[in-house]
Amino acid sequence: MKKQILVNDNLIEWQENLTINKILKIMNYSFKMLVIKVDGELIKKDEYGTKIVSENADVKIIHLISGG
Amino acid sequence: MINIIIDGKKIEVEKGTTILEAAKKLNIIIPALCDREVVKAYGACRLCVVDVNDGNEIKMVTSCNYLINKEIEVFMQSERVRKTRKMLLEMMLSRWPNVPMIKQFAAEYGVIKPRMIHPLVDYSENACILCGLCVNACSEMVWEDIIGFAGRGENRRVVMPFEKHYEACIGCSTCANICPTGAIYMTDIPNKPADEKRIDKFGMKITEEMTLMDDEQCDMRGVGTAHLTQIMNDYDLLPTTNYRFGSHKEAGKLHSDVFKAKFTQGLPDGCWLGCTMSCAKSIDNYELKSGPYKGQKVLVDGPEYETVAGCGANLGIFNPEFVIEANFYCDTYGIDTISFATGLAFVMECFENGILDKEKTGDLELNFGNEEAAMEILHQMGRGDGFGIIVGQGIRRMKKIFTEKNDLTDEQIQFMQDIGMEAKGLEYSEYVTKESLAMQGGYGLALKGAQHDEAWLIFMDMVNNQIPTFADKAEALHYFPMFRTWFGLMGLCKLPWNDVEPADNAENDEPAKIPGHVEGYVNFFSAMTGKEIDKHELIRQSERVYNFQRVFNFRLGYGNRESDRIPYRSAGPVTNEEYESRAERYDKQLIEKWNYDIEGKTSKEKRDFLRKMREEDYQKLCDAVYNRRGWDDNGVPTIEKMREIGMDLPEVVEVLKRA
Ligand code: SF4
Ligand code: SF4
Ligand code: FES
Repeated sequence: MKKQILVNDNLIEWQENLTINKILKIMNYSFKMLVIKVDGELIKKDEYGTKIVSENADVKIIHLISGG
Repeated sequence: MINIIIDGKKIEVEKGTTILEAAKKLNIIIPALCDREVVKAYGACRLCVVDVNDGNEIKMVTSCNYLINKEIEVFMQSERVRKTRKMLLEMMLSRWPNVPMIKQFAAEYGVIKPRMIHPLVDYSENACILCGLCVNACSEMVWEDIIGFAGRGENRRVVMPFEKHYEACIGCSTCANICPTGAIYMTDIPNKPADEKRIDKFGMKITEEMTLMDDEQCDMRGVGTAHLTQIMNDYDLLPTTNYRFGSHKEAGKLHSDVFKAKFTQGLPDGCWLGCTMSCAKSIDNYELKSGPYKGQKVLVDGPEYETVAGCGANLGIFNPEFVIEANFYCDTYGIDTISFATGLAFVMECFENGILDKEKTGDLELNFGNEEAAMEILHQMGRGDGFGIIVGQGIRRMKKIFTEKNDLTDEQIQFMQDIGMEAKGLEYSEYVTKESLAMQGGYGLALKGAQHDEAWLIFMDMVNNQIPTFADKAEALHYFPMFRTWFGLMGLCKLPWNDVEPADNAENDEPAKIPGHVEGYVNFFSAMTGKEIDKHELIRQSERVYNFQRVFNFRLGYGNRESDRIPYRSAGPVTNEEYESRAERYDKQLIEKWNYDIEGKTSKEKRDFLRKMREEDYQKLCDAVYNRRGWDDNGVPTIEKMREIGMDLPEVVEVLKRA
């Protein structure tokens, strides 16, 4: 079975050295006002490039509202 | 990262950090009069001096603007450093003996009474200590350059140009709020608030957030709402060719960078004096290519996101110049850019589907992407002639006119109902809502018609999966419309609420509501009126008006379930082409959500089934929202609800008895 993680309740394939920045790229999430939690733990902006997400993680990438 | 030592303690810092910032991280505090995170450090007061050993020599530097770029050792409290600070403080105290902040710092260094009296001594408690914060705040935070320093040495002083009152000062009060001594203060406070200081605090909070974070967040100062175009395209939400699709390979041509390069005005007082969000943008010297002002160079106010998405992508026109020209003529003729764009997108799809032809459009080939024909329609609308007279009446009337005049089949009439993007007679603004049921409700259940300004829920719903159940969606469709209605009641702009967010917003339970700013608005109301309210009363205030409006609509024959209907294009794919372009997404949903066996089914069969399900879901959503808002099954406020919020006025009750 493929190794996976959950991103906003969508199953996504897991890979080695998966950082938050990589996940944002995979999901094509280009919006900037985000609140990101991995297994309930808040990830700060300066950790997006360094924090490694392990398999089976439950990742929440909450987009806030902006505009009009 | 660089390792440094401060007073014997090791710390790792990023290159470019100042010594003062690094020291703060170690909880080492030294007097720093002119240092604030929100403005650049210029080293004016020199109190923050420290000794630095960079391996070659030990030298004294001001720590607030010394950027660390190699391994160093810092001595914050060496003897000569303390001596220097003491000397500086003694001089300051001799010149400004009664300024509390100076007195306090001096006392910490053992200076109670200076040994001399400065020739320019100023005994005021509110004397100007020449820290320069006001000058820097005016230029860096507010983007004005109203005040500056004049004179040298002892003659140095803060002035407006030519030492006269300068009209261009927008009276934003940022300089007064940042001044540590009270040397600058406001003499003319409009509207006579009950508690001015409390309002200032909230204003400064927003201004500070804009200064520190806007570049990384929404870049409202740089491009305004136009920053959304590329984001919407990335999330498949940018309407193209009458909302058929949510992205387009040419959308990059309408990227905010393209407009940013054209913007010549981004003044802080662009639409409201003193607003530091300053999202209003303008283009100077645009040479018009058509219409009554052809060849003239004009100033164009905008464009904003809705205009770019509507007059660009949604008409299949990926030309920024067209968008700018359409923006100018809509403004000049007094036509709303959204209604023009969405109305014309409907016309173009009708034209491409044989509901209209050249005979009916006065020889105009109104295909998607035809810039010339699109612009001609706009001029006709302005002049009141040709086919423009019909387009100018909006989608709801056009559907009626085409049905009566154009000898259409039942199928064609239904097609028009499906693709005519209006609700309650108002044209949709520019977001694709197909994959977000909550947002379909955001448009369909808005009192004024299809506008997103009551609730913009697409990210919460479709991207975050935060509000999965009907009850969750209904809660969002209660809270946000009420919260956002409140801005209208107060005459406030809502952009500072959520187009910049506090640095610690993510740490809240409900970040989507931006609790730090909600609290600010509660304070704002209380401080303005002198009447203390809380966040629940804020919602209550809106509920009173919102429900009253709904009753008003009901009295006029609207304000019920029938009037909350939406065109199917906003809920799902109307054509095979749309279905097939996102087949993977729709097939997956049919299988996973509705256990539908797609084997051997045609696109039309799948599309029909999907439609049945999605239309049922929309009705269920209405049920849930009516229930949450305290309305009956037909979407009419109940008399009990009106009583609960204190709006059971006799006339209202009279109307509701008819429900
Ligand atoms: S009130 Fe605003 S614009 Fe006027 S000088 Fe002060 S900071 Fe500048
Ligand atoms: S007016 Fe206030 S903020 Fe400006 S230089 Fe003087 S003390 Fe500093
Ligand atoms: S705080 Fe560094 S010079 Fe004033």
